[in-house]
Amino acid sequence: MGDSQQVFSASGIPIQDLYTPEDIKDIDYDRDIGRAGQPPFTRGVYPTMYRGRLWTIRRLSGFNTPEETNKLYHEEYELGQTGFSVAPDISTVAGMDADDPRIAADIGHAGVPMSSLADVEATFDGLPIEKVSTYLADRCGAVNTAMYFVMAQNRGIDLQEIRGTTANDMLAWSVPSLVNQPPPEAYLRYAVDFMEWCAEHAPRWNPVSFDSYNARDCGLNAVQELGMLLATAIEYIETARKRGRVPLDRFVRRISFNTGVHNDFFEEIAKLRAARRMWYKIIRQRYGIEDPRCALFRVHVQSSGSTHTTQEPLNNVMRIAFQVLAGALGGAQSIHANGYDEGICLPTDEAMLLSIRTEQIAALESNVTNTIDPLGGSYYVESLTNQMEERAWQYVQQIEDMGGMAKALSSGWAYKEYSDATIEHERRLGTGETTVVGVNKFRLEKEVYEVPIFRWDPQAPYRQIEKLKKYKQQRDQSKLAGALGKLEAVTQEGGNVFPHVMEAVRCQATLGEISDVQLKAYGTWRRPFGV
Amino acid sequence: MDEKKIKILMAKPGLEGHWRGIIAVSAAFRDAGFEVVYGGHMRPPEIGATASQEDVDIVGLSILSSNYTRLVSETIKELKDRGKGDVMVLLGGIIYEEDFPALKDMGVAGVFVTGTPMEDIVEFVRKATS
Amino acid sequence: MTTGSNDEQVFSASGIPIRDLYTPEDVKDIDYDKDIGLPGEPPFTRGVYRSMYRGQLWTIRRLTGYSTPEDTNKRYREEYETGQTGFSIAPDISTPVGMDPDDPRVSADVGHSGVPIYSVEDMDTVFDGLPIERCATFLADRVGGLLTPAYFLMAEKRGIPLDQVRGTTANCLCTWSSMDLGNQPPPNAYLRYAVDLIEWCAQHAPRWYPVSFNSYNPRDNGISAVQEIGMLMATVIQYVDEQKRRGRVPLEKFVKRFAFNMAVNNDFFEEIAKLRAARRMLLKIIRDRYGIQDPSCGQLRVHVQSSGSTHTHQEPLNNLIRIAYQVMAGVLGGAQSIHANGYDEAVCLPTEQAMLLAIRTEQIIALETNVTNTVDPLGGSYYVESLTNELEERAWDYVKKIEDQGGMVQAILSGWIHREYKSAIIEYEHKLAAGDVTVVGVNKFRLDKKPYEVPIFRPDPKSTDMLIQRIKRLREQRDNARVAAALKRLEEVTRSDENTFPAIMEAVKAHATPGELGKIQLEAYGPWTYPISG
Repeated sequence: MGDSQQVFSASGIPIQDLYTPEDIKDIDYDRDIGRAGQPPFTRGVYPTMYRGRLWTIRRLSGFNTPEETNKLYHEEYELGQTGFSVAPDISTVAGMDADDPRIAADIGHAGVPMSSLADVEATFDGLPIEKVSTYLADRCGAVNTAMYFVMAQNRGIDLQEIRGTTANDMLAWSVPSLVNQPPPEAYLRYAVDFMEWCAEHAPRWNPVSFDSYNARDCGLNAVQELGMLLATAIEYIETARKRGRVPLDRFVRRISFNTGVHNDFFEEIAKLRAARRMWYKIIRQRYGIEDPRCALFRVHVQSSGSTHTTQEPLNNVMRIAFQVLAGALGGAQSIHANGYDEGICLPTDEAMLLSIRTEQIAALESNVTNTIDPLGGSYYVESLTNQMEERAWQYVQQIEDMGGMAKALSSGWAYKEYSDATIEHERRLGTGETTVVGVNKFRLEKEVYEVPIFRWDPQAPYRQIEKLKKYKQQRDQSKLAGALGKLEAVTQEGGNVFPHVMEAVRCQATLGEISDVQLKAYGTWRRPFGV
Repeated sequence: MDEKKIKILMAKPGLEGHWRGIIAVSAAFRDAGFEVVYGGHMRPPEIGATASQEDVDIVGLSILSSNYTRLVSETIKELKDRGKGDVMVLLGGIIYEEDFPALKDMGVAGVFVTGTPMEDIVEFVRKATS
Repeated sequence: MTTGSNDEQVFSASGIPIRDLYTPEDVKDIDYDKDIGLPGEPPFTRGVYRSMYRGQLWTIRRLTGYSTPEDTNKRYREEYETGQTGFSIAPDISTPVGMDPDDPRVSADVGHSGVPIYSVEDMDTVFDGLPIERCATFLADRVGGLLTPAYFLMAEKRGIPLDQVRGTTANCLCTWSSMDLGNQPPPNAYLRYAVDLIEWCAQHAPRWYPVSFNSYNPRDNGISAVQEIGMLMATVIQYVDEQKRRGRVPLEKFVKRFAFNMAVNNDFFEEIAKLRAARRMLLKIIRDRYGIQDPSCGQLRVHVQSSGSTHTHQEPLNNLIRIAYQVMAGVLGGAQSIHANGYDEAVCLPTEQAMLLAIRTEQIIALETNVTNTVDPLGGSYYVESLTNELEERAWDYVKKIEDQGGMVQAILSGWIHREYKSAIIEYEHKLAAGDVTVVGVNKFRLDKKPYEVPIFRPDPKSTDMLIQRIKRLREQRDNARVAAALKRLEEVTRSDENTFPAIMEAVKAHATPGELGKIQLEAYGPWTYPISG
């Protein structure tokens, strides 16, 4: 027993054995903490938070085919989920159609293939999208979102009223080793086009959800995560500011965010509180936007998949439970609890049920929603919030100094951060500095129990390909060619492409065809991964 | 509704000491207009004797240990031996689903595991006695 | 985004009105040094030890026992291998009811809910190959029963002198009051035996915790966090007053090894605040009411257990989540020892899988979440400090209510305590039916059919006969003259006001059985029926 050893948070912040009023004596309550729903928003983006309305239970899901995904969405909704979130499969993320020979029928694995408007319609058949919002993890240029909008219009939903979110985020896009992608500058062009278009035509839609989840799962720490997240947002605002096409306050109004929630319970809570305060300062002080509604760090959080083990998978139920709780105590607006089998397969029904139940139990049994920002005032949490903020500003500055996030990506700097973090994580697992129960500590020789496994249907791709082939054949080819030609022209000219993407979708262009236009204009970009 | 109230004897034939369930169900039965004789801890012979003496319609047993098979069969035997084989026997507590068929064969009319809404139990009794 | 009305009043589980937001205004009357202070120093609000989990993690200790001493030993070894750091015996029903397995009154129940232990040899078997000098054990004994003497005798045989032996005897009137058990003496007898043991240990086994004031079972009857603390403190007062009346041992020695055992229930922050309030209250009782200045006498060292009554039979895996949050609350509340239930608590005794997951829950919190990085991480939170104060205030009121009944023993005798339990039980059912309290998967989001199966644990049906044979052999093989003499001596001592414990030890050494010990209690004090009316 002895307390001389230094102790650190997961991101490396030295943690004192005890925090007292001394540690927060320089905090000005009104200036630094304040009330929920008021600048600087440290305590929460809304004045009533969960007492007014619970966070949304929204889980990223999708598999096999649009029809089967639709069935799954109906089930999730029955169980109590309150928002939809579409995970596109690898073909969709690669911007290739299901029948593209390069894909070789390798579709429907970790998401739903959405090559066409018909696919999106099938995915949402019979679902109340006018009541329940959807998150689309769209690839680049919001093509699936265009399909979603056209579908909504066909259903009589006014785009001025439609609610939901498009990922549209360069950061999360940059992390996985994806093929068939344009360079970051292109991504940014399309992203800002879409945001500008939404500011005028779909003002209640969230046209971007800056997303640090993937980056965090590489092994980056909470400081790096927050830094990259905000640096990416700044990049977009700078782009819009330089273009000068839309007033900045309208451009930023519907910005939303998406982060991971990792293991260090209090650090994750402090991270969200710091993020809110930082975002407010960026909007208010850096960009001079006074409307407080433009400075809300509205965030969806997801339990960090990289912390879920393959060994003893049911342990992940507890890990996820704590991460969900941290998200709730950190004031998230929407939460995705992973399936406990995240390290093994797509969620089985059992895992899906448990993940929804986790959020329901946190929301309805634990009473943590009884008051807003319950940890406010804690000497530890307020100190940690301050420390997180300070360190995250330094990281943002580092990225700014090299020219911003797009430059950080194309130069390879971000990729070095990702690989260094991955390697460092492995090193710590090896030495035991990081403990993973059941894996590098208390590891059992044999598995005590088995869990059901989800298996992908090997026939599903063929059904999907058949459908797509038929779909392509019945189109008006000349109208289609005209729309794609117009899209190509506007792309070259530098105008806002999005209305032309919508038009192409109305002419039944596929995702692959529209992506090809992107790649023709900008070329493909290989991520500078390397050791 | 001038008929005799439905009379239920509530008892714990085993020794374990959890009494929350039996109290909760007894109160729900009373609220529903049934007459409840609260027996508490009673071994099967005592249950039989009391059921006979009080001329009950139903015997409700509460068991939260895994020895219910034996205790239930002894109780039913005691009732039959006293000519009270027509008394309905209900069982509540922690009961394995795979044992339900055997309990039914033994003569248990209804099994109610923890988490069963009170109104479901009351409804069952109403239906069964109408 | 629309937000709903914030006018509706919101309450904690125990009925405290909760504001939508707590600010510095809410804690402005708190004097940090006087009311919160440093961990390891009065009033101990922030923790009983200065370094808490940075110095030493809480003990992972789970109440376990089933079928036979051999089976239980096997399970204890597995638990120890898996990472459990303390033991806790769940005895078979024959122990609390003081009957031998061949007693016809108990034969239908033997072996179903815990481990039967009838002799020093049985105790030795339970702990075969286990490091009792390093890992302490909790004994949920019948008052004046066999388990504690048997454990002491086993320790001595293994070369551990009595003044070194570590562990805890339950010995708590409060928890005993909350069950409905047969073959019990009245509460004043309970008090007598309990205080005898504490007195004796103060002089001969000073490292042992001879009592663990236990509000876990009462809480599972549905009483609130306020009532839980109140009953607990009232019980402490009853015990100390009794020793004060006897005057045999200096009070600071008497209270030095008090231990505690509480529930951790669903209302996350209320449970954390409860532990902080309880620490402050015990210190005030010891220091201010009894004038004991030694700060180490006022430390509320507590073992907490996830509340079994919150674990559902429906969708049992949901309980993993409930238990996870309850254990986390116990950690953030500063507990010294924690029992995470098996998720199958409402289905059966824990299977191996459930046991593993329970231990893993504690390990994940201890080693992955970093909540142990600092002491009392929630200290200073406007909400938590306010809630701590509110709970303390209301709990004092409840202690006073019990005092007005004449103290805990009187309150039990008169039936007052049982009426409190009964009201709580019935009120909870009403809330459940009305949906005022939500139980996910049970009264909200209930599925029509079971979504999955879980493995079931069944105790070994052959074991009952084996136990009956064993005890018959025990009676044949022991020196019956010695037993008879020891029991006679015990009877005399019982009827006097001498300390019964030495005579109980001697009887157990001579291989007296639980039934024989129990019989003497009942002959001296008469049987007492719990005042429960349906």
